[in-house]
Amino acid sequence: MIELSAVSKIFHQGQPNECRALCAVSLTLQRGGMTVFKGPSGSGKTTLLTLVGALARPTSGRISLDGRLLSNLPERFLTEVRRHTFGFVFQQFNLIRGLSVLENVMLPAYPLGRPHRELTQAAQALLERFGLDGKTASRVEWLSGGEAQRTALARALINDPAVLIADEPTANLDSALSGEVLALLGELAAQGRTVLISSHDPRVCSAAPVTRLIELHDGHIVGDYAC
Amino acid sequence: MLITPALVALHLIALCVSGALLLASGFAWTLLRHWDIASGSELQIRLERRTYLVSTLLGFVLGAELLSLLLFVHSAESLSSQFVGAMCATGVLNINAFGFPTLLLKIALFFLAALWLLLNRVDQQGHDYPLVRVKYALLLAIMPLALLELLLQSAYFLGLKPEVITSCCGSLFSAEGQGAAAELAGWPVRPALLAFYGMAGLLLGSGAALWRWPALGALFAAISGLTFVVAIAAIIAFLSLYVYENPNRHCPFCLLKAGYDYVGYALYLPLFAATAAGLGAGLLAPCRHIASLRRVMPGEMRWLTGVALAGFGAFYVLATALILRSNLILLG
Repeated sequence: MIELSAVSKIFHQGQPNECRALCAVSLTLQRGGMTVFKGPSGSGKTTLLTLVGALARPTSGRISLDGRLLSNLPERFLTEVRRHTFGFVFQQFNLIRGLSVLENVMLPAYPLGRPHRELTQAAQALLERFGLDGKTASRVEWLSGGEAQRTALARALINDPAVLIADEPTANLDSALSGEVLALLGELAAQGRTVLISSHDPRVCSAAPVTRLIELHDGHIVGDYAC
Repeated sequence: MLITPALVALHLIALCVSGALLLASGFAWTLLRHWDIASGSELQIRLERRTYLVSTLLGFVLGAELLSLLLFVHSAESLSSQFVGAMCATGVLNINAFGFPTLLLKIALFFLAALWLLLNRVDQQGHDYPLVRVKYALLLAIMPLALLELLLQSAYFLGLKPEVITSCCGSLFSAEGQGAAAELAGWPVRPALLAFYGMAGLLLGSGAALWRWPALGALFAAISGLTFVVAIAAIIAFLSLYVYENPNRHCPFCLLKAGYDYVGYALYLPLFAATAAGLGAGLLAPCRHIASLRRVMPGEMRWLTGVALAGFGAFYVLATALILRSNLILLG
């Protein structure tokens, strides 16, 4: 269970361009299911997911994971939690250019020191599952948008995280590819993973696998619906 | 005033240490007043973030403080050729009233800095900043000493005038003289030897006991501190006599000279490191009860006890070898 208690995030605090991205957000996210954070651009969706995924720290408030405070952990402990608990799919995919699809997928697992053969097999299995087994040796810059998205998804799953965070996963995809990605995410949620998605795409919000919809506006939660 | 690269480096280290500690003490004061790990307040989160930066910077400057003791003694020794009457560091430290107080303060700061670094090392292994308050309280205690060191050292360096005729170590470390150094030089050899090796036995016993019963950390620390004092006294009382093969030469600084194979460095370095580790074991022993440190503390205690015993062991082995190798016969 992920719990946020009065979490605020202010960027450029005390400066003329100060930006209050989240304002005292309190929220409880149960394990499993697919939760979508919906809202217009600048509503705080990405910031919220960044804080939940321990990629940034709140300006105030606490975040806990299964009862253990996450937001105050020293960096080395936070890195451990991040590696083992969260998988990330970024809006721009953030694949490493110059590396192959297989290498990109294996990359997040290197710090964990898994045997190379086992890791390669796990990465190949994920790529096969996402229909990319023919592309393992291809450089990521040669991939289409859908292939890049699926590669990013495979990379997010290489450490077998309990929570998958996807920021605008369909933003760069056409309808057919969006449906494909949503189906994959739904499959992962059905397997017991917690899938957290930010999106302002109506196709995502109304997709069948979504179990909860949280609406944000100007850093506040303005709606919370079970689907 | 003399200007040499070593003196400039010592000045810079003292300025960095006192400057960094002065800046950090403001942070430390805020932290001691407002730290509340259960709170998610903006201030608390800011303190959590900054403690990283401050601890890292302090790690570097206090590490430099450890090295500055070695550099200070080495500089004093190497400057002895430039002052009339000085044969070793004793003469250089005696040039004005600030030399020996600076040295003593540097020794005190060496141990305090080492303890702070050990506290910091253990604190960073706990997920909930378990020793953060102790760490910054100790920092507030170190800060005035660091400022005093800067003042004393500056006064000492500014008073290093080549025209001053100073006295050699023979007059200070003489059994016929007055003061603590003379008292130590006059310590009879037999009881001094007994005390010296008696401390080794006590240290070994308490180290073994600490390995088994971690609650005995304070006892081990006390014995380590006492062993350090007895070891310095023993160097002045009899060990130096064996090295120089001269029954009247008690100087603990001439051991640093090339003529004696720099044996002083081989004696002092393990002695200081072992004492710091021994004191650290005592300071950290109560931390074994802290929940977030329960897993790491047994390893840390074993490491500190091991370093202390190895350091003291190296010192005692070398001291014994020097005594056995010497042509001087003090005990018939």
